[in-house]
Amino acid sequence: MTTEPSAETESSGYEPRVSPPNSESVELKQLRRRRGGGRKGRQEARATSSAKSVAFLERTLPPVDMLDEAGYAQIEANAETILEEVGVAFQDFPSALELWKDAGADIRGDVVHFPKGMCRKIIQDNAPRSYVQHARNSERNVTIGNNTTVFAPNYGSPFAMDLDNGRRYATLEDFRNIVKLTYSLPQLHHSGGTVCEPVDIPVNKRHLDMVYSHIKYSDKGYMGSVTAPERAADSVEMSRIAFGGDLQDRTVMTSLINASSPLRWDATMLGAATVYAEANQASIMSPFILAGAMSPVTVAALAAQALAEALSGMAYYQLVRPGAPVIFGTFASSMSMATGAPTFGTPEAGQAIHVMAGLARRLGVPFRSGGQFTASKVPDAQAAYESASTLLPTVNAGVNFVLHAAGWLEGGLSIGYEKLIMDADQLGMMEVYARGIDMSENGQAMDAFRTNPAGEHFLGNAHTLKNFESAFYRSEIADNNSFEQWEEDGRLDAAQRANVRWKKLLADYEPPPLDSAIDEELLDFVGRRKSEMPDAAY
Amino acid sequence: MPDDVNTETEEDFDDEEIDLSALNDDDLRAQMMDDLYDGLADEIAEGTNLFLSRGWGPDKVLGEVLVEGMRIVGIDFRDGILFVPEVLLSANSMKAGMAILRPLLAETGAEPIGTVVIGTVKGDIHDIGKNLVAMMMEGAGFEVFDLGINTDVDEYLEALEKHKPDILGLSALLTTTMPYMKVVIDTLSERGIRDDYIVLVGGAPLNEEFGEAIGADAYCRDAAIAASMATELITERRKAA
Repeated sequence: MTTEPSAETESSGYEPRVSPPNSESVELKQLRRRRGGGRKGRQEARATSSAKSVAFLERTLPPVDMLDEAGYAQIEANAETILEEVGVAFQDFPSALELWKDAGADIRGDVVHFPKGMCRKIIQDNAPRSYVQHARNSERNVTIGNNTTVFAPNYGSPFAMDLDNGRRYATLEDFRNIVKLTYSLPQLHHSGGTVCEPVDIPVNKRHLDMVYSHIKYSDKGYMGSVTAPERAADSVEMSRIAFGGDLQDRTVMTSLINASSPLRWDATMLGAATVYAEANQASIMSPFILAGAMSPVTVAALAAQALAEALSGMAYYQLVRPGAPVIFGTFASSMSMATGAPTFGTPEAGQAIHVMAGLARRLGVPFRSGGQFTASKVPDAQAAYESASTLLPTVNAGVNFVLHAAGWLEGGLSIGYEKLIMDADQLGMMEVYARGIDMSENGQAMDAFRTNPAGEHFLGNAHTLKNFESAFYRSEIADNNSFEQWEEDGRLDAAQRANVRWKKLLADYEPPPLDSAIDEELLDFVGRRKSEMPDAAY
Repeated sequence: MPDDVNTETEEDFDDEEIDLSALNDDDLRAQMMDDLYDGLADEIAEGTNLFLSRGWGPDKVLGEVLVEGMRIVGIDFRDGILFVPEVLLSANSMKAGMAILRPLLAETGAEPIGTVVIGTVKGDIHDIGKNLVAMMMEGAGFEVFDLGINTDVDEYLEALEKHKPDILGLSALLTTTMPYMKVVIDTLSERGIRDDYIVLVGGAPLNEEFGEAIGADAYCRDAAIAASMATELITERRKAA
């Protein structure tokens, strides 16, 4: 797997991978075992091979469509009707209304009514189909769009939980721990943003510690603060320091701008989005919909509304700065009609991911959705089932940026240390799954059949010997041993095994290099900004 | 990626030109342990002959080189560093050395590591697991007589009579065939020869309790355990004798 965006990334093709017949075919007759350096050689080889990782996934697996052309076209038409007839509120943000007025929209109060096709045209004329988010370590740059998938951790939880300490308000220490663990987990391609809310830090200063932690404790890409325009500006400034110089030609942050659904963007989010667009940084313009409460209950209605909201948000981004990278986001789930509680891992939410991904492909922009969602409070069977029921649609739909890919518990209220580890293991499986089927000569393995009599096992076959080491995904969490072995190992369940693993990862953590002059400048900036304002609880 | 894993190893350690005969005893022993680990049957045969030509007794070659080498293979298999196909190669190399040593050991009257008769029981044609056990046992230095699949009690009795093994291994994959293990063991008891053998049983649907209930000496949950269990029980038995 290459870590560089290849030509293949730029084409939007999902061609199955068929390698031409080539020199890699196993020469069985001549195959002779060679010296491998004995125990020392093998131990070294195994140690390095397990450290292999990719910067992001390049899919060959074609995305699954749940609608036909007529279905997509109907939802697109419905979205245009919503945009024109109902409109979208751009609340308490006059400069946005000015931009829309100049662009030819119909403004009534703070609600913008869009002529049919207007938002779509603005986006298709200006927004990139994919972009590169630069990381401090250029080997970890991620391409977002077309056939790529990027996994980022949980976002926004006020609570943290682990098996030893239970559930409590998250602190900056939790935040740092999650950043460190995410850095250590090769299945996560991106450091994320507010991986948990550091509740012990004053609200108006948290962003400084969060952005600093991402830069200091990781070298993967990260997200900026969106809770106020000046906090977004601080995020941009800190990134300028970290990356050195002007960011106008480099996108180094992808930040999360949520719609306040239904059909409304608020001033806080628009303020942050404007700062990021002006600085040529990327944002995810993301409807956040719990169907039943924030949209009608059906998937087709949710899809039309989410498309309308996303179109209006992304088009606004292009009005602020044509060409600024922007992602079509959708966070969609449903609500228990019995209690009002949000539900996760439901079949309807899975359908929504597929439909929205298809709509984004047709529009021609990167798409964010999905993750590993659950309403469960602990890393139990419910958590695993619901997460899997979200992750498979996420991957099959071809989502490009997957926030909440690991760690999510309790409808997002809590990040779980064990859950983070268990989820990352699943992401590793998805990496293999999304790679598609190897149809090369080696993949077809006809030589193996020709050299193995019927009824004879393949464990000693030359093809097996050549391929076994990386033939199958090896879970670090699953226990596949015999009952007796499992019992001898202490009868640990998956969460308990994950508990052992996160502690080991944290104990073994070594920070990536950071230039000491840059570190000093960042700390100066954080210190100065903190001293300039009194602690505030908003 | 799957395509070039072994290539990498080959390029990194392409030292095929080692002349074993030029090595002193210590270095040859170390190289043979490596070759055993790497599953090089030809080299193990060559090294075994070299040691014999230098006046080492067959029991010394077996104990200090081959058994010791396989002990390390066993450790790394247990620890997840070595994979099943690799252990099979190592066991196969051990077998190549044993083929040379076995007749010599018999001549000197040295006590052999042990002899095993093994087979999948009547009604069952599943033999991959049983074959793995046989290979691991050969790897541990046992002489193994494999009766194959669908073995009825008369075939077992005949083989016991003929090979006079220390160990009888019974294998079954099916819940419908595992009761036949009891038929075999009961028959041995009826004939008064049950205690002449250590009876080991294994297969996916078995457990410790089943093994005890049918009167086996031990249930072996996997191939590696089967080999170490065999060694352990033989040692105990010989001590007691």
